Amino acid sequence: MANAVAIPASHEESEVITKPVGNHAAGNSRTCDTTGLPVCLTAQLFIRLNAVLGVVALLAGGIAALLIALTRWPAVHLLDPVWYYRLTTFHGLNMLIFWILFMEVGILYFASTTLLNSRLFSKGMAWASFVMMVAGAVLVDVTILGGKADVMMTSYVPLKAHSNFYLGIILVAVGTLIGVANFFGTLYIAKRDKTYAGSVPLVVFGATAAAIIAVVTLLHGALVMIPTWLWSMDILKEVDAGWYRLVWWGLGHQSQQVNVCAMVSVWYFLATLTTGAKPLNQAVCRGAFVLYILFINLASAHHLLVDPGVGASWKIWNTSYAMYLAVLASMIHGFTVPASVETAMRKKGHNRGLFGWLAAAPWKNPGFSAFFLSLLIFGFIGGITGVTLGTQQINILAHNTLRIPGHFHSTVVGGTSLAFMGLAYYVVPLIFKREYYARGLARVQPYLFAVGIVLMSLGMSFAGSYGVPRRHWDIEFTGAQFAPGFGSGAHVMLGLMGVGAVIAFVGLLTFILLTVAAVFFGKKIENRAMTPW
Amino acid sequence: MSIHAPEANWFKPPSGAERTWIGLALAWCLVLSIMMPYWHFKGKQNSTGDSYRVTPAAFAARVEQFVKTNKVAEINGVPVVEPSPGGDAYLQGQMWRWYPALKLRVNQTYRLHISSTDLQHGFSLQPMNMNFQVLPGYDHVLTITPTMKGEYSIVCNEFCGIGHHLMTGKIIVE
Amino acid sequence: MPENEEKAAEVFAHEHEEEEHKTPGTVVLTLALLISFAVYYFANWKALADVWHVR
Ligand code: HEM
Ligand SMILES: [Cu+2]
Ligand SMILES: [Cu+2]
Repeated sequence: MANAVAIPASHEESEVITKPVGNHAAGNSRTCDTTGLPVCLTAQLFIRLNAVLGVVALLAGGIAALLIALTRWPAVHLLDPVWYYRLTTFHGLNMLIFWILFMEVGILYFASTTLLNSRLFSKGMAWASFVMMVAGAVLVDVTILGGKADVMMTSYVPLKAHSNFYLGIILVAVGTLIGVANFFGTLYIAKRDKTYAGSVPLVVFGATAAAIIAVVTLLHGALVMIPTWLWSMDILKEVDAGWYRLVWWGLGHQSQQVNVCAMVSVWYFLATLTTGAKPLNQAVCRGAFVLYILFINLASAHHLLVDPGVGASWKIWNTSYAMYLAVLASMIHGFTVPASVETAMRKKGHNRGLFGWLAAAPWKNPGFSAFFLSLLIFGFIGGITGVTLGTQQINILAHNTLRIPGHFHSTVVGGTSLAFMGLAYYVVPLIFKREYYARGLARVQPYLFAVGIVLMSLGMSFAGSYGVPRRHWDIEFTGAQFAPGFGSGAHVMLGLMGVGAVIAFVGLLTFILLTVAAVFFGKKIENRAMTPW
Repeated sequence: MSIHAPEANWFKPPSGAERTWIGLALAWCLVLSIMMPYWHFKGKQNSTGDSYRVTPAAFAARVEQFVKTNKVAEINGVPVVEPSPGGDAYLQGQMWRWYPALKLRVNQTYRLHISSTDLQHGFSLQPMNMNFQVLPGYDHVLTITPTMKGEYSIVCNEFCGIGHHLMTGKIIVE
Repeated sequence: MPENEEKAAEVFAHEHEEEEHKTPGTVVLTLALLISFAVYYFANWKALADVWHVR
């Protein structure tokens, strides 16, 4: 690993690009000493701010995660019911919404400025977005911890939270929407000012797909949260439970597609940085992103498969749109990403056998290991369980059991969150311009987190196959009118989940401590390349 | 390179192994898609979402009527109610119990009406592990045929407040 | 486009195509995915077939 960043000089590309110039104001940009990429200093500020807030949310959600996991582990059964339900609400929102959205807005700013050699469209909008998101997140967290919103992140009506809970979510959503608009504004000025030639890079294309879906998603969010907010203040008399679920999942499910798009873009990005990989066929990769945009819209159906009020044909049609084309898109990326790495590694001479290229890959680089483990976990566990659970009739066996969290902890945690961690191992040196300490620990961290999440995911999935419900404080049913209880198989699986959760938490805490130490106290990187991983 | 603009003539059809994989994946997606309509017509387990609008008060009244006319026993102070085979049965989800307990005959078909008189609940039949969503305002009708004898429990698997984990019920199949 | 340039482009494209074929490791990985997928998926249909009948 002699080069910090393994970008091979690419003749065919530099030929086409007739050295377009950026549109930065004088003194408001720098050239990265490691990659040679241009960095808009305004964008850099907001990438930093968003990343910091993302990590804060990750820490808050992570502490809650450990506590609720230790409660679901019957042998430990740590919290009382009030705090179990409260922290489950808290965990879901801080992780799935705040950690992920702060990171994604940062990624959008990065992709549209640095990769297009453009300045950020509007500093004012970036501030507005950031302040609203922070205010909203704080409002939500304070309301939950104050005991005024024990409703889970889905807040299914007619379960009612304090109006500040809904207001906070609306603020976060609007703030995110402004951030997304800033991204589109940047795409526009980059195009107008001709800061790049030809088509946008693949990573920007993927980020654009994420942003388009995000807009649709956030509009659903507004459509459902605003009436619910009014209802919580007794201005509206009623919100229909079935309607709420339909529209809420227009927000809840599609936002997962945003996460997938962002994650896949990060895969391509990290594959390039760590191995010099390049897509075999741009048309295929881009086509797959287009499939995401076109075929995801009513996937809210996945959450209503055993609901009343919507019929079988509606369920079947909206589950598959007659063809699982969004699944196809993921399967395509699942090929093109490792294939690009394989091609790059073979080109460097690692040609031995079927997997010589993989064995020779930079597994000690946490950027690479996080990315590749994310790919494996997302594909082999997340993808397979997700499509199976989302099959209309099979959902009868799985709805609201622990199989559901088992599934999404291998998509949005083992997949997206792990990929974002890998990204951080480059964002901190390149954007914060600080070195990581304890690099040996950093090399181990992705494995620790991945192993923990895999054990936890499998434990949850199989416990759910025994029928163990999600969001449930006591599967012994002590004091209930009938006490069904679950067998030893379920208990073993919940134990597996608990052990996995502890390992994953250690991995998560390691990541946070290393990153915070680097960001605030790390050795400064000035006028030199980052120390290669 | 995924972080640089692609070469000008980047559009080309997939080839080689990549192309084969896309073909395979597409075929698999077709299998996935066809399985659902296939099972809808040939399979015995389907969630058709059959449901009717009902107010919580009206539903509670139907449940009371059902209990009154069909009650056969009591366990733990909970009425056990046996609907006539082929007939309608009622189950009320409320914070925090499933009411009443039901007694069904094996291999007989019932129209099981489930609704909630307060929040959303999750009907989860154990250890059979069949799960359906229950909403206030919707009479969710499962046309259900128990195929095995035994004692079954119903738990609630949609969060419904602080007593959610205490919400259970019973179905006896003879 | 002048003729010789077109030829150059062709040669270039050809070179690329040959590279693309050399991903046997990825092929094995993705086939393993497809097989696990099919096993898990159909095992679930089997499990579904064993529960009470419902419409
Ligand atoms: C150390 C890492 C983590 C651990 C140990 C963990 C553990 C858990 C546990 C035990 C539950 C509760 C399941 C239940 O009782 O129903 C849960 C729920 C959940 N987790 Fe995590 N988790 C982790 C990280 C994450 C991350 C990074 C995300 C999102 C990006 C996430 C998203 C969620 C969501 C959305 C829920 C559902 C909450 C609800 O039911 O409302 N988790 N997690
Ligand atoms: Cu309930
Ligand atoms: Cu409940």
